[in-house]
Amino acid sequence: MGRDTYLKKVLGEDRYQKVQGSTVLMVGAGGIGCELLKNLMLSGYGTIHIVDLDTITLSNLNRQFLFRKGDIDQSKSITIKKAVESFNFHGTKLISHHGNIMDTDQFPIDWWDQFSYIFNALDNLEARRYVNKMALFLKKPVMESGTTGFDGYVQPIFPYKTECFDCQPKATPQTFPVCTIRSTPSKPIHCITWAKEFLFQQLFDESVEGDAEDLSNATDNDKELENLLKESNELVELRKLVVATGEVISQNTFFSEMVRKIFQIDIERLLLIDTLWTNRLKPIPISDAQIEEVADLIRSGGIEQRLESLIDTQVWSPLENLLVLYKSATNLQTRMKNNKFIAFDKDDEDTLDFVVTAANLRSLIFQIDTLSKFDVKQIAGNIIPAIATTNAIISGFSNLESLNFLAQNSRTDSSMVFISIRPNKYVTSATLEAPRKQCASCSVARGILKSEEGTLDQVTLEQFIDKVKSKYSYSSDISIILGKSKLIYDFDFDDNLSKSLSEIGFKTGELVLIQDEDDEVENLELYIEVGLKSNDIELPELELRQKILIEKENGHENGVGKDAEEESGDVIESDMAFETIVIEDEVEEEVPAPKKRRIN
Amino acid sequence: MSLCKTRLQEERKLWRKDHPFGFFAKPIKAEDGSLDLTTWTAGIPGKQNTLWEGATYPITITFPEEYPSKPPKVKFPAEFYHPNVYPSGTICLSILNEEQDWRPAITLKQIVLGIQELLTSPNPDSPAQEPAWRAFLKEKDVYEKKIKEQAKRYISTT
Repeated sequence: MGRDTYLKKVLGEDRYQKVQGSTVLMVGAGGIGCELLKNLMLSGYGTIHIVDLDTITLSNLNRQFLFRKGDIDQSKSITIKKAVESFNFHGTKLISHHGNIMDTDQFPIDWWDQFSYIFNALDNLEARRYVNKMALFLKKPVMESGTTGFDGYVQPIFPYKTECFDCQPKATPQTFPVCTIRSTPSKPIHCITWAKEFLFQQLFDESVEGDAEDLSNATDNDKELENLLKESNELVELRKLVVATGEVISQNTFFSEMVRKIFQIDIERLLLIDTLWTNRLKPIPISDAQIEEVADLIRSGGIEQRLESLIDTQVWSPLENLLVLYKSATNLQTRMKNNKFIAFDKDDEDTLDFVVTAANLRSLIFQIDTLSKFDVKQIAGNIIPAIATTNAIISGFSNLESLNFLAQNSRTDSSMVFISIRPNKYVTSATLEAPRKQCASCSVARGILKSEEGTLDQVTLEQFIDKVKSKYSYSSDISIILGKSKLIYDFDFDDNLSKSLSEIGFKTGELVLIQDEDDEVENLELYIEVGLKSNDIELPELELRQKILIEKENGHENGVGKDAEEESGDVIESDMAFETIVIEDEVEEEVPAPKKRRIN
Repeated sequence: MSLCKTRLQEERKLWRKDHPFGFFAKPIKAEDGSLDLTTWTAGIPGKQNTLWEGATYPITITFPEEYPSKPPKVKFPAEFYHPNVYPSGTICLSILNEEQDWRPAITLKQIVLGIQELLTSPNPDSPAQEPAWRAFLKEKDVYEKKIKEQAKRYISTT
């Protein structure tokens, strides 16, 4: 009996052939990816391309079961391919790509065009949005998935036929008003944000706002520059102490100056603004006695011993926080001699210790509860819990739902699946909805603009505009935005008309957004593909639909944003990009929530 | 992201069709000759018959990628003298605050009018700098003198 006997029985001969003949793409080879690749191979998919930009780290190994200790620092996409060869029973052809899926040179649009199905196994919103957009350009079905802790979902996307990834708003990371962070914290998170994004940043990291750079372009006068820098970096004096080398300034100087400035002087200054404290607890600056006590301990050399006995999961005393702050601050100061700057990284002990203790000391001042290092690490590092079982279940649904695509009525057979750990509702499914009319992605017509380099050098923007206007019969003037936010032409801005398209920045992978002045037709987005042998500019055949005007108040429906991952860079993966699932346990029939979906 | 740019172009169009007298607002010109829709400069005229009149105060408006879900960041020049402006120039105003009154439907026109209003009606309950806050509450004559001096620096050219 052949190895595929049961598979043929389960899928049916016809679908089995389709699966065998399919070339699919799996984006991401992490928590979901490891599980999903195994499933796809055992289902007999003919060719699978795997893309991941990451390398394997120790913290991956508890759930990314295709990786072993010896694989640490190796490419995920390449390692995963080797790992599955031992059970490649159906002769699946595996092709690894180590790279960023958003790289238009490595993954141009014609590369995307070879796939019949795209599986997302991603951990961040930005890449999900990008894949979603490419799928809309090429009208390719996508299986989107995500997990957080015990929750997870899969969402089949059929471009322009069912809701796309952007149709439902996604939660954006919480931000705090500058006043709360700088003057009136009331929760531990406020102090952690202050320590990580203000204090640490200004003392050790590159300038966040890029102010210093902007300024150096704006003026040549050194004195003026220094004044401006002072304004943009309130801690410039302290920063100078950090980078000061030589014996004149001892390490203790930096530490005690810092403690005095941020935990005494600044707090006293805040206390002067008395209206702030009529309805709030007054902050209590650190006392001179406390600072003296630390200084004594440092002089007597007894701190190492005290530090060794500290436990990460316990809350430290004010003195212990000060000692750890001293230790980490001096370590960081020493490291700054060889580094221009140091970025916060939850796995870099010095940076973590600094943020933990600075945040806790600020909490003490504002009479907020202090937290253990373990707890602060979770918050400051945006660590999202990842559970192997959740990933496995979701990958299973991802695979199962994709097999529906190859059935007769692909769309009607597919559904969204949510899993969660709620009594009697571990698994819920919902039918796919039509695209939302006000979705910023679905309400745009898309196509590919084909050309070649020589042509882009010759055609002027003015000629291009004429061509677009006549091709799509625009009745009013148009505006053109290139890339993320470069306005190159509108009714009020004709400076670039005589420039050639290549001079303006038209190149492979760039996006051109065209809007009409009178809001009569939908927006049009073109993907520039250079390389075709053509001495003209080929515009896609498209019929622009009438524009749907949406009430302004609905603007918030299209919530967009990045998730925590991108902000921090390195996080344990697997997150739920999806809006919190609106499935209430027992009461769902009685309570019609606006966001509720039809439950099968 | 795609919502951000369509919305910004929409704001530009709206502003062209209708904006309050004495104000200006435009995206900055990038080195490559395009306009950067995410960064605008604008001018806020001081209200007539107030300490602020006769001057146009410059602001920079920076729109994040998540706009309009998230509000733009608005700054006066550093060291701008006003109780609700941080030393860096950042404005503390509830309609620019995601946790308070920001809504995606708020237009550029509403933002600049809100800032013009803030100039003459500071909010003593959310101080952002100590000197101007103290003077505003406790030393009216110093406050008035400082505001008038500042107005001279930003005198309207039209």
